[in-house]
Amino acid sequence: MALDAKIPEGPLDKKWDRYRFEVKLVNPANKRKFDILVVGTGLAGASAAASLAELGYKVKAFCLQDSPRRAHSIAAQGGINAAKNYANDGDSVHRLFYDTIKGGDFRAREGNVHRLAEVSGNIIDQCVAQGVPFAREYGGLLQTRSFGGAQLSRTFYARGQTGQQLLLGAYGALMRQVANGQVELYPRHEMLDLVVVEGVARGIITRNLLDGEVEVHTGHAVVLATGGYTNVFYLSTNAASCNVTATWRACRRGAFFANPCYTQIHPTCIPVHGEHQSKLTLMSESLRNDGRVWVPKTPGDKRPAEALPEEDRDYFLERKYPSFGNLVPRDVASRNAKQVCDEGKGVGETGRAVYLDFADAIKRDGEDAIREQYGNLFDMYERITGENAYKMPMRIYPAPHYAMGGLWVDYNLMSNLPGLFVLGEANFSDHGANRLGASALMQGLADGYFILPYTIGGYLVGASLPAVSPDHDAVKEAKAAASERVHQLLALQGKRTVDEFHRELGLLLWNRCGMSRNEAGLQEAKEKIPQIREEFWQNATVLGSDGELNQVLERAGRVADFLEFGELLVEDALHRHESCGSHFREESQTPENEALRDDENFAYVAAWEYQGVGQSSRLHKESLQFEDVKPATRSYK
Amino acid sequence: MNLTLKIWRQKSPKDKGRLVTYMAKGISPDMSFLEMLDTINRDLILKGDDPVAFEHDCREGICGSCGFMVSGQAHGPLKGTTVCQLHMRHFTDGDTLVLEPWRAKAFPIIKDLVVDRSALDRIIIAGGFVSVDTGSAPEANALLTPKDNAEIAMDAAACIGCGACVASCKNASAMLFVGAKVSQLALLPQGQPERERRALSLVTSMDDAGFGNCTNESECEAACPKEISVRNIARLNREFLRASFSHPAK
Amino acid sequence: MSWFTKALKSSVGKKFVLGLTGLALVGFLIEHLVGNLLLYKGADSFNGYAHMLESSELILPAELGLLALFLVHIVLAITVTVGNKSARPEVYSMYASKGGRTLASKTMIYTGILIFVFLVLHLVHFRFGVQSLDAEGRRNLYAAVLALFRSPVYVAWYVLAVCLVGLHVSHGFQSALRSIGVNHPKYAPALEALSLLFGFLFAIGFSSFALWAHFFKGGS
Repeated sequence: MALDAKIPEGPLDKKWDRYRFEVKLVNPANKRKFDILVVGTGLAGASAAASLAELGYKVKAFCLQDSPRRAHSIAAQGGINAAKNYANDGDSVHRLFYDTIKGGDFRAREGNVHRLAEVSGNIIDQCVAQGVPFAREYGGLLQTRSFGGAQLSRTFYARGQTGQQLLLGAYGALMRQVANGQVELYPRHEMLDLVVVEGVARGIITRNLLDGEVEVHTGHAVVLATGGYTNVFYLSTNAASCNVTATWRACRRGAFFANPCYTQIHPTCIPVHGEHQSKLTLMSESLRNDGRVWVPKTPGDKRPAEALPEEDRDYFLERKYPSFGNLVPRDVASRNAKQVCDEGKGVGETGRAVYLDFADAIKRDGEDAIREQYGNLFDMYERITGENAYKMPMRIYPAPHYAMGGLWVDYNLMSNLPGLFVLGEANFSDHGANRLGASALMQGLADGYFILPYTIGGYLVGASLPAVSPDHDAVKEAKAAASERVHQLLALQGKRTVDEFHRELGLLLWNRCGMSRNEAGLQEAKEKIPQIREEFWQNATVLGSDGELNQVLERAGRVADFLEFGELLVEDALHRHESCGSHFREESQTPENEALRDDENFAYVAAWEYQGVGQSSRLHKESLQFEDVKPATRSYK
Repeated sequence: MNLTLKIWRQKSPKDKGRLVTYMAKGISPDMSFLEMLDTINRDLILKGDDPVAFEHDCREGICGSCGFMVSGQAHGPLKGTTVCQLHMRHFTDGDTLVLEPWRAKAFPIIKDLVVDRSALDRIIIAGGFVSVDTGSAPEANALLTPKDNAEIAMDAAACIGCGACVASCKNASAMLFVGAKVSQLALLPQGQPERERRALSLVTSMDDAGFGNCTNESECEAACPKEISVRNIARLNREFLRASFSHPAK
Repeated sequence: MSWFTKALKSSVGKKFVLGLTGLALVGFLIEHLVGNLLLYKGADSFNGYAHMLESSELILPAELGLLALFLVHIVLAITVTVGNKSARPEVYSMYASKGGRTLASKTMIYTGILIFVFLVLHLVHFRFGVQSLDAEGRRNLYAAVLALFRSPVYVAWYVLAVCLVGLHVSHGFQSALRSIGVNHPKYAPALEALSLLFGFLFAIGFSSFALWAHFFKGGS
């Protein structure tokens, strides 16, 4: 099947204008006749639900947390990019577009990315109007800073809590529509399946997490904004409830999953310390603006940091990438940290960490200035490690952080299943093989505030969508399947906890399909995942009953889906015989150990069609056309 | 290290709960408090017992999901810290800890340490936002905001909605939560048009939810993991009184 | 419900009135303390001052006003306390402060009740109890003070009661200011200090009358 991305014709910078002129509009009086189901209330979901409700659509918003405000977007720290050029440092829509395409290692669509850059400024306007307390200059104007992968100051921020503040803004907008009666809110509801009626997405099956009731919700369109799948690695910077279930279930119903092997490993996280660890904590990479990354020059040098004189230190990022230095993109920074640790230069008890040192910045700007800018991050570091980073360098190590892959969508943000729209991290669209810092917030809000509200109308006005009866076979089948699965999980009375299986899967993927990957390792993972999955269905234990709050049951369902999805992740990594962005295949590198892309054979989006558990998925290719930029070797030297 | 835990177990909202004693053995000081609970739960599951239900998500102190009383203190003994960020190095071998859910009429218990905090959402629904439709916003730099005001607004906006203020207040008052939201928006130019309506409707919604009255003991500030100042409560009082006496609507 | 009653019936409104009446009562205490200092000047000054007050045309409205202040303050305090108890029907089996509460703040309702008991007795003893007249035909309150404070038990109870007043005011004054919306980073520390100062002043000032009467004028 040829995948049509439906990118409008015309010059790059006119495509979105042209699209908006050509897209058919829904009569305001008719909008209230359309029911839209929005799953997930993070930046993308909340902004979409609020914006659609403002337009007059009837919206149902679902989240599995107790409140929409707790979606994991809240944890984003560093900032949000926008091509405002307030800093007068040469920024423009085109430059943000170019940086994002290049940062994504030329594996994203030009049309989508340019549109993202175009609306980036509107996002800042919108958030400021909502009362988001962005950092300000004394004159009262907005302040910006530079951020990983960009040589200019285009990142807007609210201390180290930008995601929180943006989410609370979107949450406020959503709650306003709840007050207006335009949005019906379903907190503590988890989507278990997608209802597809005659090839069109028409509803979802949810489970009320408080009383276990399996419910059917039908509507005219389904919007998935359910975030990324990085928790497949078990230890990641994601929140515990982040999962692949909604998107994986949609995939099982026919939606294509694109580029699952593009998983971002974030360079500045607090290293793993013990076997009981439940998550990894990220510290904003804004720290790399002032912190210098280094390791001892000699492998095995176990002297404490303060005992190492300058000449015995290797500031490896500054040495290898003189023009970007410590600000190289995330994939480059992470891979280099892994490399020096593999060479035995890693620090700390486990030897899997590098220093992030603020001594020079403190000497230059004073401790107070550093405290003002990064105080909360230093506090967080101290709470977790018990160490004072004003006095000694931090130790950091990369950790799984973000999923660039996701459900395949076209320019309308609609998947190959008509009526199924996918936003934010849940889709694959804008970041290619690597996402730049401060771009996730931008994309989530762009999708929700400024793109979906236009594109969904174009779909609704042109589609014939008769009401779906709750007695329709497709509805009954999906509901029965979801209930049946809950009962299968509850019947598991084995000897190992669900978390153990998750940990086992995660460790396998981290070692074989993490920061660097090779054929043998991937083959091994491919063989082992089905074994873990089989053992899970034999030997996991799930307690309690269905009719109550049952956190073990919830986790079991999510882990079971990770165990299916993990195989696809590996399959994608295995098939992509090139290195690009976050996907580093050891077989494909330059003599200087840099990623070696293969544009001739792999300049495409890999969209996978589900064929059954344990079956190889079918690959569909959307070839990437570069009309405006010339794919070049990414160089940050 | 080894600890004795007395944990509130309550199967359902209607069930009469009780404290049950558990032993936590071989706990590493580097574990977080929730990781310690994870190990207790793992043991319970392997024994076939119902694990302790508690809410958590980001485990980095920002989502506001977690929170319960640790020996009578919201989020435990450490100031400015959520219980997910509390590490076991702050306890000593042999300690006995009592774990109880937030208690308030407005926060009914769902199960064990999990409570229903939707009353806080209802307060926000009553007007804890700026009414601005998507697309209608003016240029971001068109409205100047003094840096100092933006900073104080940000201090207030740091609220994570965990409910520790209510839990720690002897009156189960939500004034710090409401004060933080009203202050944030009252301090910014964008919040001005709805400033009075917001103060009035948020207080009404708070009262309707069954929260108690503030008696200015500042226990909320001491328990707040984001250390939000009680100054926001004074500002809420000021905003509410001003609005009551001057808002043109009857 | 009119906007006015709605405002006053809200949690913020109730605390506003509670605070305002409290502040007014602090004003009364200051006046009372200053007036009582005339004890140290002697019988003539003190009885003369009392007579001047009692024979004024304004005494009735003033006393009714004071009564109203007390009643409103007490009724609201009880309403607020009952409301607060019902906001947490099931109490914690263990509770420990994280640093906000003080002895004064957590005992407001109890010190308030004891002060009320003291107030009634105080009125019975001094406002309504003293009928003997001095040489000039004025109520001889000076002699009554000296007589009552001859009893060490009475002195002890009195000192305890005014210390409770001090404790109550030390939290009450700053709490009242916050309830009426007064709190500014520049002035808050000074006002908090003033609150403590008032507390000490009332405790020490009023106690001094009892101790002075007992030890220097009581001849015990």
